[in-house]
Amino acid sequence: MKISSFWRYLTIATLLGMLGVGVLVQIARIQTDPEIKELIGRSSIVVRYYYPPRGEIYDRYGRLLAGNTTVYEVSVSLEDVGDDPSDIAMAAQVYLGQDYTAVMELLLNPPDGVRYLRLADYVSSEQAALLMKMQEELDASPDGNPLAALAFRAHLGRQYPEDDLASNLLGFVTHDEYGYFGVEAKYNNLLSGIPVTLLVPTDPRRAVELPEIPPGDSIILTIDRELQAAVEVILEQALYETGAESGTIIVMDPRTGEILTLATTPTMNLNDFSQVGEIFPGETPFNRAISQAYEPGSVFKILTMAAALDNGTVQPGTIFLDDGVFQYGGEYINNWDGGAWGYQDMTGCLAHSLNVCLAWVATEMGSDAFYSYMQRFGIGHLTGIDLASEMTGRLKLPGDSDWYPIDLATNAFGQGVSVTPMQMVMAASALANDGQMVYPHVLYATVQDGRQHTMATQVVGNPVSMNTARTISEMLAIALETEASRGLVPGYRVAGKTGTAQVPTPYGYYDPELTNASFIGWGPVDDPQFLVYVWLEKPRSSPWGSVVAAPVFRQVVEKLVVLQGIPPDAVRAQLAGR
Amino acid sequence: MNKMENITHIVQKVKQAPWRVQLQWVGLLLLGLVLIAMIAGIYINVTARAAISGRQIQLLTGAIDSNKQINADLETELASLTASEAMAARAEDLGFHPAATDEITYVAVAGYTDQAPVDLSSPEAGVRTTLLQPEYSETLFDWFTRQMTSAGDE
Repeated sequence: MKISSFWRYLTIATLLGMLGVGVLVQIARIQTDPEIKELIGRSSIVVRYYYPPRGEIYDRYGRLLAGNTTVYEVSVSLEDVGDDPSDIAMAAQVYLGQDYTAVMELLLNPPDGVRYLRLADYVSSEQAALLMKMQEELDASPDGNPLAALAFRAHLGRQYPEDDLASNLLGFVTHDEYGYFGVEAKYNNLLSGIPVTLLVPTDPRRAVELPEIPPGDSIILTIDRELQAAVEVILEQALYETGAESGTIIVMDPRTGEILTLATTPTMNLNDFSQVGEIFPGETPFNRAISQAYEPGSVFKILTMAAALDNGTVQPGTIFLDDGVFQYGGEYINNWDGGAWGYQDMTGCLAHSLNVCLAWVATEMGSDAFYSYMQRFGIGHLTGIDLASEMTGRLKLPGDSDWYPIDLATNAFGQGVSVTPMQMVMAASALANDGQMVYPHVLYATVQDGRQHTMATQVVGNPVSMNTARTISEMLAIALETEASRGLVPGYRVAGKTGTAQVPTPYGYYDPELTNASFIGWGPVDDPQFLVYVWLEKPRSSPWGSVVAAPVFRQVVEKLVVLQGIPPDAVRAQLAGR
Repeated sequence: MNKMENITHIVQKVKQAPWRVQLQWVGLLLLGLVLIAMIAGIYINVTARAAISGRQIQLLTGAIDSNKQINADLETELASLTASEAMAARAEDLGFHPAATDEITYVAVAGYTDQAPVDLSSPEAGVRTTLLQPEYSETLFDWFTRQMTSAGDE
């Protein structure tokens, strides 16, 4: 080899070697330079917040009552906004309902340190699709896409496919992802799941498996959607026909405490919760069944009579001479019609709803026993139902500063004592369920990680004996039949009691015209499978529970026996005999 | 000079030729460069494949989220289409009406049980599968350790 060739080779080799060494040095520098490391570290790890999808809500047969749907957060990438953001502001006004001037102001003078400016959240898929389509179409614009800075992030938002069905029971979720009222509030923690914060590398070489974020638990309610819908229609019709201010109907299985239906007014479309302030102005309770206590009137007599029977104060055949007036504690008690009904047994007292008789029964029992029984029935206490915002009524007790002896007599027929409809339902469950009072609840089961956990029936007390419960059921069935009540259901023997209560005014006396009309009943008497409570507030067509509330009870029972598959008594007897 | 001496002399001549020694050094240097280039090439290739795989993982993770959202949308849409009011209207359009108590005939059917509340428990409950295989995340050393460990188990 010539010397010159050698030097050429050596020069090339040296250059290549230096190049290689340079590359290695550069690699080493990139790996070790603190400034570069900081830059890499800052951009390659991002903090992400993962909100698990909210659990779904189903009725007892698996029909979806509350689910989720995709909604969009629409933002603007400020780095990509050109000199003139007017197109973005215009799009925000047209498609997102934003104020043009306000958006322009924000885009021209964004807050310091903000890279993405959120224009709107919970934008529906349809609206977002329109905006995305426009953005896509403008991509071909020769002057550049004026909407290129718009960014869309899809996430899930609450959706109620049944709109206003069972709205008072379900409650709703706002854009802060928090549940308000009903089961949405009561089971918010369960439904919402646990948000997770993760450090996620953006460097694809460092991609790691993200932990699976478990969704919120789904829950199955005890209500039957079809029955709920049917009862809501019945209630709406009843309000229309009677002119009542509001109405409430509760259907419960007295054997388990499962609420099959809870209908009350007013209702609201849960997908548009912004209307809540207008629909429920002022002190209007969201769910009257649990949040509004009222003087129930004569439906309360079933508790007084049950207590007296259980206590041994009276028997069904005990005779009472009703002379139309009962004096007690310096006050006089009259019957609803002001009349005297003569000799009556206890069934007659219930059939004719005699205040005088029931006041006598309570005073014969004595205040200690009477109030002890009422407390055992849960009067004056929360039922503990699994719905948010339950209120308790008021049961004045001897020793309270505002209790007077006359209260014993008036409480006997449901005046001077206040209860919520749900309290009455729970108390009556003891009479319909062989003396066992059950915990009313709307949660049938929870579903977590694919496992279903079903609620067990809870007996919260035995205020009266089984014998007493069966006796009072029989008496109430006879009472309805004696009176040829409008609450009677052809083919089904039911026990029930009407109630017509005067409405107290803020001035301390009762309104001379307004009433609360109620009806409570259960059946079939030989094997109670349903308990129905009807309350119509201040009806106008007639003040009497027997006229306005009893027919509603019958309509509800006629509907529920079909939907629940409860055959008429004769058919059941036939089937039992096989 | 015998034959053996001649050979030794030629070998010595060749061996001692300066350009041959220098050529050997240059060759060695170039061989080193080739090796470095090969290692660098392999490194780039592996890194690129890891990056592509990682990117695919990110895309698939996004696709999973997207599918979950689509599932939720479809479930809710189905519920809306079969909502109580909608179904009642469809039934009415088809000429049906809600049955009244006197329109129902009850027939005893042996073995029939009433409609029971729903059971939404899943057969796959509690089964947790790992999305990423270890090959996507482990180092060469991890792989070697795993192979050694698993070989010991087998």
